[in-house]
Amino acid sequence: MSTQAAGTEAIHRTVSVDCTVEHAFETFTDKIHTWWPLATHSIEMEETGSSPETVVFDGPGGRVYERTTKGEELEWAQVVAFEPPHRFVLAWNPSRDQGRPRTEIEVTFTNEDGRTRVDLEHRGWEQLGEQAAEVRHGYSQGWQTVLAGYAEKASS
Amino acid sequence: MAYRNAMDALGDPTRRAIFERLREGALPVGEIADELPVSRPAVSQHLRVLKEAGLVRERRNGTRRLYRVDPDALGELRDYFDDFWTQALASFKAEAERERRNG
Repeated sequence: MSTQAAGTEAIHRTVSVDCTVEHAFETFTDKIHTWWPLATHSIEMEETGSSPETVVFDGPGGRVYERTTKGEELEWAQVVAFEPPHRFVLAWNPSRDQGRPRTEIEVTFTNEDGRTRVDLEHRGWEQLGEQAAEVRHGYSQGWQTVLAGYAEKASS
Repeated sequence: MAYRNAMDALGDPTRRAIFERLREGALPVGEIADELPVSRPAVSQHLRVLKEAGLVRERRNGTRRLYRVDPDALGELRDYFDDFWTQALASFKAEAERERRNG
């Protein structure tokens, strides 16, 4: 058996969007609340079964966090790099426990013939080490049903 | 499905406590039972469920059996996000293009 833990390689996703780089970057960051499926994919939902009020993506040096119906701000990530309209990097740990190890998400926006290519890399799985299963558990309650919901929303 | 089994296994608070204890290192059944308000046979039963869910591994050390967290479990988390990002980016794309069309 390999000594390299299985499944630590980075996740890569690319999507081509029919809009300017500026608009794509703004939609992903400032307007994250317009497309992120909070009703199924958030800490408050996991804990209580109801959606938080909103999600906020701060600029440089800030955070990504959800604001719950009780007015709490629960952090999902710290903004490590913020270079509009081309790139940002997040240190990702959507949890009440901010002592947990973080994975890293980098998103870049590139002009391609008037469209925008968005490349997402989610990496650093090895940093989770032995806490992985527990971290996964923290994310996942309630998140499983979301996948079907996303597909429906995106294709409607 | 392995992933679902892991979720179900960790839904039980005692199993979660055992799992968290094992994060700190490999242990035999007896030591786990000493630290929890649960009998040794009950701990063995919980360990079996965790093992079947792919969260914990067992190895023999002489006459003792030691239990530890399975490092491959993190592959499942990664796989989860592998699916997640496909869906999330589709949602993002739909929104970015919708706003553009509507001015």
